[in-house]
Amino acid sequence: MRRLAPAALAAAILALAVYPILGTGYGTRSVLQVFMWIALAGSWNIISGLTGYVSFGHVAFFGAGAYTAGILIASVGWSWPAAALAGGGAAALLALGIGGPCLRLKGPYFAIAMLGLNEVLRALVSYFERLTGGGNGLSLPTLDATVPVYYAMGLTAAAVTLGARLIIGSRFGLRLMTIREDEVAAEAMGIPTFRHKLVAFLLSAIGPGIAGALTARDQGYIEPLSVFPLATTITMIVMTLFGGKGTVWGPVLGAVVLFVAQELVWARYPYVHPLLFGAIIVGVVLAMPRGVLGLLQTKYRLPRTI
Amino acid sequence: MIDVHKHFGGVRALNGVSLALERGRIYGLIGPNGSGKTTLFNCVTGIEGAEGGRVLLDGERIDGLRPWQIARRGVGRTFQVIRVFPELTALENLLVVTTGPHEAARTRARELLGFVKLEALADEYAGNLSYGQQKLVEFVRMLMRDPALILLDEPAAGVNRTLLNDLLDAVRRLRDEGKTVLLVEHDMKVVMGLCEHVFVLDHGEKIAEGPPGVIQSDERVIEAYFGR
Repeated sequence: MRRLAPAALAAAILALAVYPILGTGYGTRSVLQVFMWIALAGSWNIISGLTGYVSFGHVAFFGAGAYTAGILIASVGWSWPAAALAGGGAAALLALGIGGPCLRLKGPYFAIAMLGLNEVLRALVSYFERLTGGGNGLSLPTLDATVPVYYAMGLTAAAVTLGARLIIGSRFGLRLMTIREDEVAAEAMGIPTFRHKLVAFLLSAIGPGIAGALTARDQGYIEPLSVFPLATTITMIVMTLFGGKGTVWGPVLGAVVLFVAQELVWARYPYVHPLLFGAIIVGVVLAMPRGVLGLLQTKYRLPRTI
Repeated sequence: MIDVHKHFGGVRALNGVSLALERGRIYGLIGPNGSGKTTLFNCVTGIEGAEGGRVLLDGERIDGLRPWQIARRGVGRTFQVIRVFPELTALENLLVVTTGPHEAARTRARELLGFVKLEALADEYAGNLSYGQQKLVEFVRMLMRDPALILLDEPAAGVNRTLLNDLLDAVRRLRDEGKTVLLVEHDMKVVMGLCEHVFVLDHGEKIAEGPPGVIQSDERVIEAYFGR
């Protein structure tokens, strides 16, 4: 197993790298979507899976990245790779700004504050029409960049997963978990919890910022409702919970399994798919609160960095 | 060294309690339920802000600092209700506390787990350990930073005799190393057998202090515990 895993991983990466050349256009777009979900779920996992601070508005960083990139590309004429990095940077700055007040809130209050942040951002984007196009949306210059965006999104997903691996395998990661386990005890043991939360929050914003920027480029058109939907936050939460919060590969597993399931169900029974998602949430929370990998981890004593 | 005021709403939890502690001694803090013992611990460790008074550690004020800063200045504590990190292993519970080089931290953590005879359970999740074992993990976790002042909140509660004797021996050894220990305890045998000096709190005020023998026969103390 230990020797097989790196080989399997290398084979998977190779297959994904050549896929746009060999696969169909539909297939490439689907894998691109999976990459996006891996980046989003994996990022949510860093703040919420590790510290236990449940962000209910994480899509705010996705939207912030999308609009930053959209404006830079459409109005300033930046190239999309540069705009994507700027999207990640803008999301990180936003996290730094709101992390100060929000991360002092505990439990449900933090979750609600994040939910509110997302609504505020959506309202602001709708209001500043000159810059953002308001409710009419923002169109980007036409460009078929699906394949390069595929690689960029794949790289983002890989970077988020690698980042999670490094964090979870470090003492910094363990300290983030002490916040989830018992924040008061962590403080009393000399761990500066606020600083740790802020760094985790900032790191968890970068991936969604870049993913939002890349999505904006790929779709060529963004509007407030399309880049700030609550459903996106819920999806990344469900994917992470399903795969295993606080694990490295849980969000990846959740993103792949749930995306495929969603596509299959959606294609056949369009009206059932929200129902399926609801059922999964309830099922996961009741049957395996640690998710698939969390369950395997405790049962077979697998390493923390799985 | 400690002189604090604290009230919750209209309730005066601590009303100018002053304690002076000398290095290398074991002190007891006793008093009826609700007399302010744990609140005093929380004020000293910064978990609750004091509303007046000062806390000095080696002549430097530590009141007003964040709990983690106070911990890094050399104040370690355990809690009345066990607060280990349940989903971290026993070893990880200790490792997270340190900031130094990884290998040194690992060696020290293993040493401390050996000190309380838990090395075989190092990789077990703390939440799966027995109550007594969790208490020991919490005890040695607090020692990872090598604190100069150790606050123990009811170390004897729920611990069997054998384990308790080991724990008390450990406390004496720490004292011999020059550390100062202040412990809250309801078990009078433990207090009288271990402490060199005892403070008595009642309704947020210090009503007596002195060597255990003297305290035991102090009228105000007897009154506070048993009523008139």
